Amino acid sequence: MQRRDLLRFSLGASAFLATTSLVGCTAQSPATGYRALRDDDLPLLSALIPVVLAGTQAVDGLVLHSLDHKLAALSPEMLKLTWQLFDVLSLPLTRGPLTGIWGAWQQASAEQINAFLQRWQGSSLNLLRMGHASLLQLLLMAWYERPEAWAACGYPGPPKI
Amino acid sequence: MPVIDPFRQGLERGWITHDGSRLANDLTLQADIAVIGSGAGGATSAQLLSAAGFKVLLIEEGPLKTSSDFHLLESEAYASLYQEGLGRMSKDGTITILQGRAVGGTTLVNWTSSFRTPPQTLAHWAQEHQVSGLSNEALAPWFERIEQQLGISPWALPPNANNEVLRRGCEQLGYRWAVIPRNVRGCWNLGYCGMGCPVNAKQSMLVTSIPATLDHGGELLYLARAERFEHDGERIAGLQCSALDANGINTTGKQISVRARHYILAGGGINSPALLLRSNAPDPHARLGKRTFLHLVNFSAARFNARIDPYYGAPQSIYSDHFQWVGGSDGPIGYKLEVPPLHPALASTLLGGHGNDNAQRMAELPHTHVMLALLRDGFHPQSQGGAVELRGDGSPVLDYPVNDYLRDGLRRAYRSMAHIQFAAGATRVLPVHGDARYASSLSEALTMIDELSLAPYRTRLGSAHVMGGCALGEDPRQAVCNSLGQHHQLENLSIHDGSLFPTSIGANPQLSVYALSAKLTDALITRLAHNA
Repeated sequence: MQRRDLLRFSLGASAFLATTSLVGCTAQSPATGYRALRDDDLPLLSALIPVVLAGTQAVDGLVLHSLDHKLAALSPEMLKLTWQLFDVLSLPLTRGPLTGIWGAWQQASAEQINAFLQRWQGSSLNLLRMGHASLLQLLLMAWYERPEAWAACGYPGPPKI
Repeated sequence: MPVIDPFRQGLERGWITHDGSRLANDLTLQADIAVIGSGAGGATSAQLLSAAGFKVLLIEEGPLKTSSDFHLLESEAYASLYQEGLGRMSKDGTITILQGRAVGGTTLVNWTSSFRTPPQTLAHWAQEHQVSGLSNEALAPWFERIEQQLGISPWALPPNANNEVLRRGCEQLGYRWAVIPRNVRGCWNLGYCGMGCPVNAKQSMLVTSIPATLDHGGELLYLARAERFEHDGERIAGLQCSALDANGINTTGKQISVRARHYILAGGGINSPALLLRSNAPDPHARLGKRTFLHLVNFSAARFNARIDPYYGAPQSIYSDHFQWVGGSDGPIGYKLEVPPLHPALASTLLGGHGNDNAQRMAELPHTHVMLALLRDGFHPQSQGGAVELRGDGSPVLDYPVNDYLRDGLRRAYRSMAHIQFAAGATRVLPVHGDARYASSLSEALTMIDELSLAPYRTRLGSAHVMGGCALGEDPRQAVCNSLGQHHQLENLSIHDGSLFPTSIGANPQLSVYALSAKLTDALITRLAHNA
């Protein structure tokens, strides 16, 4: 995902995000069992998965592992920018003002998360619209790359060679 | 019966290859010719040069993956065979850019469509960009030669249902359509060209020109990123490469120094200009990386009562050029109509929405068809393309603005696609746009299309054809290379890839890259022999 501008945003254009970059000391090392996802990313993503993938059989752990595999394949610059997006969503100082979710992600209701996604989708800030598109694309692809997703979309899977 | 993996057999026969990820020490390699990039341009050049007796070193940033590695899985293919793990996008994140990155380059993952460069395009280059010697007549023997070499001929089997929609709709409306020539031999009609051909039917560089090069004593260095040329402003003295880990993502710290008499740059659009930018190559008129074109693509989905099974069968077999040259070559932007294959992960992001909306659209995947329009950018003064820039870490990114000229084409293309889809019997049509919904009649679709705001991020845009950035042309104030592909300033550097194109092609570009590279290499061989 291209989130170069998010970086620029976080470095200057917004007081909220400026704060992120100052206090954004999120560990850059992966969580146990993952290659790219960090501990602080997991609550956010676990809250998003049941909403973005509502109506599917998606299981939290499976989607996270697929997503991790995808992120680990990104170029270093793209991974950095993806981490930055997750930071903006995770850190309390930026999460509340930018998403409207003032408490922890674990406590957010599906309605609140849908409202956040709609807010970003319709935002006048290109950066938030880009963030919205990126989150959806990452999570949808992470699920539908998995054989567990295929029966519900009528895909019989690749032919045997 | 297990499928034979000819590349692995060649390795067992003793082909000389160097795996950058496994280097224990720095390495120095010497060759007559160093070719950077193993895709359509580089591999074609390498084959001809090695057959002419030159010692060739072929350098590739991506990993070596062969038919035994291709399991027809989106999860594996996107992560291992595409630039930036399929994460490559335009600078503002509005356009997803699909480019291959592995031994064989994009030829490993393209959908096999093989068109000759349209004569209108070649005429435009001669008139507007001072390109000489590349007329339709001059290139014809090279197209023929490559077509024979790579088994290129119009697809002889019936199109799959996804392509049949395009054919049927055009037929109903009296629009021109035709069968796509494909570079395959003994194709199994599976539909997984974009994930690496598991049966070596696709005549990609991996099974054709690269084996031929290695059979002639050429060497292959892979998982090695060409970082910069050492030069004095007139001649290149060497090339520095960084070894990459087995996934081709991070550098290992080992360096490879390459010394050659002549260098051929063939990293493709974006990566070729990027290497020259990193090298501070002379660029007195600031042309490097400019006028990079994309064949900007938008999409239209449609629901049919009959099964489409859009994931199976040769992915592209029918096209329409009905709208390609309507306003002449340099009027309002023209477009070519084709279809993409639809496997679940790619389909899920194309069909849009989230939660139940997306799940419902996905549940209808077997009945879903998608069409795409490739916009022919670069022919009109209001279509200047994008510019390649370097990020802080030296990696490239393309800044490609979408303006009103392009938006006009996107809207007309949405309309054309809806017309064709309903004419072919669609029950509902969905312009692929964040604000669109399925329309159940043509008039409803057209009204919706006219009202769509073609704003960034809401309009789903893609590109699989990066062209230009090192344009050829006789005037150094306009072009990076002359019409022979020789760099205007660095005398022992040639560029042989799609970055040479002064505009987009107006057709899927692989055959244009092959033929142009072959022709330029033939002339280079004569010059090198002369100067030996």
